[in-house]
Amino acid sequence: MEFDELQKIWDSQNQQAMYRINEDALHNRIHTKKQKASRITAISEGLLIGVNAGAGCFVLALAGSKSGSTLFMNLLAGWMLVTAVAVLVSRIRRLRRENRFDRSLFGELDHAIAMATYQVRLSQLMRWNNLPIALLVVSGVWSGGQSLYLALALVVFFILVNFATGWEHRFYIARKLELETLQKKLQQG
Amino acid sequence: MTESEQNHTFNLWLRQHKVQIFKIVRAYASTEMDQDDLFQEITIQVWHSIPAFREASSVNTWIYRIALNTAIKWVGKEHKHSERRESLDNVQVILQEAKVPPDERLTWLYEEIHKLDEIDRSLTLLLLDGFSYKEMATMLGITESNVGVKINRIKKQLIARSKQLNTYGI
Repeated sequence: MEFDELQKIWDSQNQQAMYRINEDALHNRIHTKKQKASRITAISEGLLIGVNAGAGCFVLALAGSKSGSTLFMNLLAGWMLVTAVAVLVSRIRRLRRENRFDRSLFGELDHAIAMATYQVRLSQLMRWNNLPIALLVVSGVWSGGQSLYLALALVVFFILVNFATGWEHRFYIARKLELETLQKKLQQG
Repeated sequence: MTESEQNHTFNLWLRQHKVQIFKIVRAYASTEMDQDDLFQEITIQVWHSIPAFREASSVNTWIYRIALNTAIKWVGKEHKHSERRESLDNVQVILQEAKVPPDERLTWLYEEIHKLDEIDRSLTLLLLDGFSYKEMATMLGITESNVGVKINRIKKQLIARSKQLNTYGI
């Protein structure tokens, strides 16, 4: 068969549509999806900003209301507030970069890779951020004369958090690799 | 643009260009459920794109580009989540097969297209739907010469396979 014949076979489907569309169901679906304007990245950023700012303010208020040594609590509150500001700044930078990609497939893949890279960096940053927070919390508990079991329980908790953030980080890395492979395929002859 | 204007344009585009979308859906998704899912993804992306359409290209090229980009990225995401989606996404079926007598040769052609990787599949569809190398290069964001190299390879591959098909008497 020559290519012209393949073309004729292909063109034969232009005469009769192979599917029917349930238009009501389609409009319902679009309406539902439209409500979900926030994407995963925006939710992650919002959560990180909210949780860190909220917890930071709470710890700061708690430290202010207590007498005695509150060095670790103040440090912890400061660290959390700085983290919230850092995530907010990186979110603003990300949004400014949003429209710099062209609308070809290559451009869209570039955009998706940039988004995946951002998620990889954010998840890595949050993973490492657990370490100083864990150290400050455990030190605060320890210096406050709390029981050893409470300090150990907190250590176990932060180890679990570290596993969870590691899983999230690996998920984003895998997604980024898939997109990069796709872009390589596009460039190859 | 008001929402009702957007809906009006969407309905018009869907009526006029649904066959192109169907072709892309069938080329990228095999099962009925996947076809339904991909069709939804494409139509949602098309709906969202309406305010951004500036008539720099034809509506057909615009929709084709959105549909292909969505399908290519959908393939990567798809197979890992299909099982979970089956149980969760028990929504109304949007795409129903029309009662068209099956064409064995067309089915074969789709099977062959399905064997290609995501990028080659998109080029094959663009080629069969009559887009020029220049349009393909613009849509995919690669050079015309790269398009030419890929198209030559795909054409040779399809012609060679069609000869095997003739031997089986289809």
